[in-house]
Amino acid sequence: MIISTSWLADYVQVHTTDADLAERLALSGLNHESTVTVGDDTAIEIEVTSNRPDCLGHVGVAREVAVLFKKPLAVPDPRPLEAGDKASASVAVSIESPELCPFYSARVIRGVTIGPSPAWLVARLATVGVASVNNVVDVTNYVMLECGQPLHAFDVGKLAGATIIVRRARPEEAFLAINHKTYTLDERMCVIADAERPVALAGVMGGADSEISANTTDVLIESAQFAPLAVRAAARSLALASASSYRFERGPDPAMVDWASRRAAMLILEFAGGVLEKGDVTAGTLAVSPAVIPFTPERVAEVLGCEIPASRQHEILRNLGFHPANDHATRWQAPTWRRDCSREIDLVEEIARVEGYHHVPEDMTIAARPVELSAREQAVRAVGDVLTGLGFCEAMTRSVVDESLASLAGGWTSAPPLVISPPLVRGADRLRQSLLPSLLEARAGNVAVGNTDADLFEVARGYLPKPADADTSQGPVEEPLFVALVMGGDSGSGSVFFRAKGIAAAVLARLGVADSEIAYEPTEAGVLAKGRTAEILLSRPGQGPARVGLVGEIAPAVLEKFSLPCPVAAVELRLDRLEWAIDRERKLVRHGDFPAVARDINLVIDEGLPWAKVEAAIRGAAGDLLERCTIADIWRDADRLGANKKSLVVSLSLRSPTGTLTGDEAGAIVARIITACTDQCGASLRA
Amino acid sequence: MTVVAATPLDAFRASLEELHRDAAAALTAATDAAALEAARIEFAGAKSGRLKAAQKLLGGIAVADKPAAGKVFNEAKAAVVALLESAQARLAGATPAALAAVDVTLRGDPVRLGHEHPITRTIRRVQEIMGRLGFESVDGPEVEDQWHNFQALAIPSEHPARDPLDNFYLATANALTDVRANQPPEDAATADRGKPWLSRESAKWQKAMEGFGHGQSDPLLLRSQTSTVQIRVMENREPPLRIVSLGRVYRPDTADATHYPMFHQVEGLLVEPGITMAHLKSVLRLFASSFLGGDVKVRFRPSFFPFTEPSVEVDMEWGGRWVEMGGAGMVDPAVFEAVGYDPDTVSGFAFGLGVERIAARRYGVDDIRDFYRNDVRFLRQF
Repeated sequence: MIISTSWLADYVQVHTTDADLAERLALSGLNHESTVTVGDDTAIEIEVTSNRPDCLGHVGVAREVAVLFKKPLAVPDPRPLEAGDKASASVAVSIESPELCPFYSARVIRGVTIGPSPAWLVARLATVGVASVNNVVDVTNYVMLECGQPLHAFDVGKLAGATIIVRRARPEEAFLAINHKTYTLDERMCVIADAERPVALAGVMGGADSEISANTTDVLIESAQFAPLAVRAAARSLALASASSYRFERGPDPAMVDWASRRAAMLILEFAGGVLEKGDVTAGTLAVSPAVIPFTPERVAEVLGCEIPASRQHEILRNLGFHPANDHATRWQAPTWRRDCSREIDLVEEIARVEGYHHVPEDMTIAARPVELSAREQAVRAVGDVLTGLGFCEAMTRSVVDESLASLAGGWTSAPPLVISPPLVRGADRLRQSLLPSLLEARAGNVAVGNTDADLFEVARGYLPKPADADTSQGPVEEPLFVALVMGGDSGSGSVFFRAKGIAAAVLARLGVADSEIAYEPTEAGVLAKGRTAEILLSRPGQGPARVGLVGEIAPAVLEKFSLPCPVAAVELRLDRLEWAIDRERKLVRHGDFPAVARDINLVIDEGLPWAKVEAAIRGAAGDLLERCTIADIWRDADRLGANKKSLVVSLSLRSPTGTLTGDEAGAIVARIITACTDQCGASLRA
Repeated sequence: MTVVAATPLDAFRASLEELHRDAAAALTAATDAAALEAARIEFAGAKSGRLKAAQKLLGGIAVADKPAAGKVFNEAKAAVVALLESAQARLAGATPAALAAVDVTLRGDPVRLGHEHPITRTIRRVQEIMGRLGFESVDGPEVEDQWHNFQALAIPSEHPARDPLDNFYLATANALTDVRANQPPEDAATADRGKPWLSRESAKWQKAMEGFGHGQSDPLLLRSQTSTVQIRVMENREPPLRIVSLGRVYRPDTADATHYPMFHQVEGLLVEPGITMAHLKSVLRLFASSFLGGDVKVRFRPSFFPFTEPSVEVDMEWGGRWVEMGGAGMVDPAVFEAVGYDPDTVSGFAFGLGVERIAARRYGVDDIRDFYRNDVRFLRQF
C-alpha cells in the first residue's frame, strides 16, 4: 500500500518528518518499505499484513496516525445532491447468489461529461502509482484508495435491460474483460450480469462492453460486498488479480460500502457534472457483525509482563474505534473495520502495539532446566565429527530431484518416488529416496570447475511411501535419516571400495555399533556397481538382520553419466536405524593381564570363498579365547596352490582372562580352528 | 610348534642366571648405539633373543614347578629390561645430537580436514545457546498433513496460505500427469518470501497464477514451517516445555540471491505457567547477546502470524543497525486448544529464525544459492 503524505493530511495533521512518520508506523504494525519523492508529494510504501484490510486506504492509515500522534481524525461525510428521478425506477438490481454477494448497491448519475480529471487528483493518483484514465474511472480508483472499498462504474447505456443481476458464472461462460481478453468462467466465480451477459467479474474486473467511454453519459456506480473466496478463486485461476480483488480477498469495512458510493457520486458530480438520481438501488443485506469482546485490563500485564494503566488502555481502545459495551467497560464492541479483533488477546495486542513494545522488559530471569541431546542429535553430530575429521566436506543438496536423478536411487524401496507440485526448481518434482544421486551431482559440479578432490557427505532425510496400513502417528510418510558420502579413488586403483568400507566401519564404530553386530553381504543397488557393492546388515538380539547401509563403488555407466573421470565409492547409512547405539550403555571390560599367544595359520581355500565365511568358521571354533583374527597375507600361485585357489595367512591372537595359555591349550584351539576351516570351508592347511 | 623335553627347574634357573650375568656384562660394556643394539637383539630380541628362547623352555617345565619357573623367568626378564634402559640412558647422555638437523620451516605433511556446512554450524550454534537456556532440540517429519501444517496452527482451510501455488503439495497418482506440466512461477516477487514464518501476504496476491487442483481431501505437503513440530510435541507431552525445532522447510519461491525454495528454520517454543512477552524478549536478548556477542539490543515490531497473538517481528542490533532476525509472539490460545491444552492455565511464547539469513549475514554470503552449490572452495572456508 502506497500512501501519499499530502493526501493523508486531508484527514490528520501531524507535524513531523516523513522518516519519523514511517518509523512510528513501522513500530506499530505498518512496516516501512520505502519513501519516494513524487513531484511535490511524498509516497511512503507500507506493508499491510493480511489481517489489516482497514489500512488498505488512506483513511485507515490516517486513523492509525491519529491514534499514534494523539491527533484528531477528520473523515468527510459526503452528502451528494440528489436531483433526478428515483434511481430504483431506472435500474433494477437483484442477487441470485447471496453466498457470493451478500449486498449490492447502485447509484445512477445521468448526463455526465467524460473528460480529464483535475490536476490535483491526477497528481495524487500518480503519487500512489495509479495512471489517470478519465474523470469517472479516476474517481472510483480514488475512493477505493481513500477508504479501501473497491467500486466499479458502468455505462448505463450499455446495460441490456437496465438490469443488474448478481449470480454465479455459468460453466464455460465467456467474459470479455476490460483488458479486451476473453476469459472462460466457472461456477465458483461470481459475475455481475445485465439481462443478457456478464458485464463484470465480481470484485475482480469490469467488462469491455460496459466500460466508461468518451461517449458515456449515464453512469452506474457499484458498491458491493463480495465473498473473499469467490473473488480469490476468480482472480487466481484467471490470473486477473487487481487492486479490487486484493481488497475483497481481505474484506473491506462494510460500513464503507454506502460511504464510498456517496463519496464517488459527489466527486463525479463535481468533476463530470450530471444529475444524481434519488436514492440508491440495493439488494441483499449488508453483512456487519462487529464482535463484542470481554476484556479485563489485568490481562494486559499477564501477557506483556508490564503494567499499562487501565485508563490508558481504555483510551487506546476508544481511539482505535472500540466502544465499551457496558458500564464497567468489561465488554467492548469492535469497530466495523476491525473484523480481525474478536478475542480478548486481540485487544491486548492492540494496546501493546499502540503503547509500544519498548515498554516490555527484557531482563526477566528464566529458571534453569536440564536438557539432553537426543540420541539422534548426538548421532548426527558424531557422524559429522568423524567425517570432517576424515577430510569430508558437508554438502547440502535439494530434497527434491528430477526424474533422471530419481531413477538412479535404489536400495531402500521399490516404490516409485513421491511427487510434488509445483516442482521445487525446474524439473525437480520427485522426493528423493537416496542422497547418493544428489551427492554425485554435487561431486560432478565440483569436477566441472576443477575441484577434483571433492569428497562430500550429507546428513538428510529420504522420503519413502508408507504402506496403506502403516502407523502414521510420527508422520505420514517414512523419512529415513541418511548419512551418505562420496569419495574419489585414484585412477586404476582397486582400493577405493575398501577405503570407503573402512570409513563406513569407522562411522559405525563411532556410533557405538560393535563389529560383531555388523555383516556385509554382496548386493546390487542404484548407482552402485555390481560386484563392488555390499549391503551392511545389523543384527540385534531377537531381531533378524536389517539393512542399515550400502557401501560400494559407483557403476561405470553412472560415472559416465556424471562425467566423473576417476573411480568413486559411496556409502549410505540409515542413521535412523543406528542412532540408538550412541546411547547404549558402556561398561568397562577389564583387559587381560595375562600374556596373549600369537599363532599364524596358512589356509588354502577356493578363490570364490569370501573371507566372512572363513572368519565365521574360525570364530565359531575358537570361542571366547580368540582375541583377534586378521589376514596377514593373501597370495595366489597356480603352480603351487592349484588353479582357482588362494592362500590366506591368518594371524590369530589368543588370550585367556584367567591365566597364561600354555602351548598345549593354544595348540588345541588352533587345531579346532583348522578342523572347522577344513569342514566348513574346504580349506587345507599349508605347512 | 617345537616340542621340548621336560627341563628340570634347577637347570632352568641356572640358565637364566647365566643369561642375566651375560646381559649385565654386555650392556655395561656397550659404548655406542651399535653395540647396545647388538646386545639388545641378543638378549631381548623378539624373535630369537635369549629371553625368548628361555620362555619357550617354560612350556616343558612340570606343572607343579610352573609357578616357580614363571617367577624366575619374570625376574630375569625384568632385570634385563632394567639393564637395557640404564644402558640406553647412559648412551643418550653421551651422544646429545644424534639426529641430523632438518629444515623445521618446511611444511608439515598435509592432513586434509573436512568442514561442517555453514548452515549446520549456524544451527549448532543456535542449538547450543538455546540448550544453555534449557531448550531441547527436537525434530519431526518434513512431509506433513493439513492438520499439523495449517489447521492446528490456526490457519483455517480457506486461508490463502494454504493455496496450492504457495505450497508443495504431494500429487496423487492420477494427478501426476498434470503435475509434469506445472512449472514454477517465473516471477513471484513478493514482500513475504523467505520470511521465517508464514506472514504477510502482500504483492503475492496481486500476482495471480494458473490454478492447480490437487484433488484430495487432505493432501500432504512439504512443511512450510517447523511450527509443525511444536504441534507434534505438544500433542504428545504436557507442559512445561522448552523446545527448539529445526530443519528444512519448503515454499515455492523462484531461487535468487535472497530466496530459495528450500531453506532452514530454527523455531523455539516455551510453555510454562506465567510466561509473558517480557520472558520472550529476555530470552531473545540473551540469545542475541550470546550469538552476536556483547550486550545486544532486541526490538519488537508488531506483525501478524496466525499462530501467535500478539505477534511481532524481531530486530536485533547488529553491526550498528537493526537487522530483522525473525518472527515471534505469544502462542495463540487457538493453538493451545488445538493440541488439548487449556489456554486459561498455560501460556507460552514461540519464535522462528531463518537460518540462511543469519548465516548469510554472519559469513558475508551475498547469494544464498551458494549454500546449495556445494562447491568445496566455498565449503572449505567454514
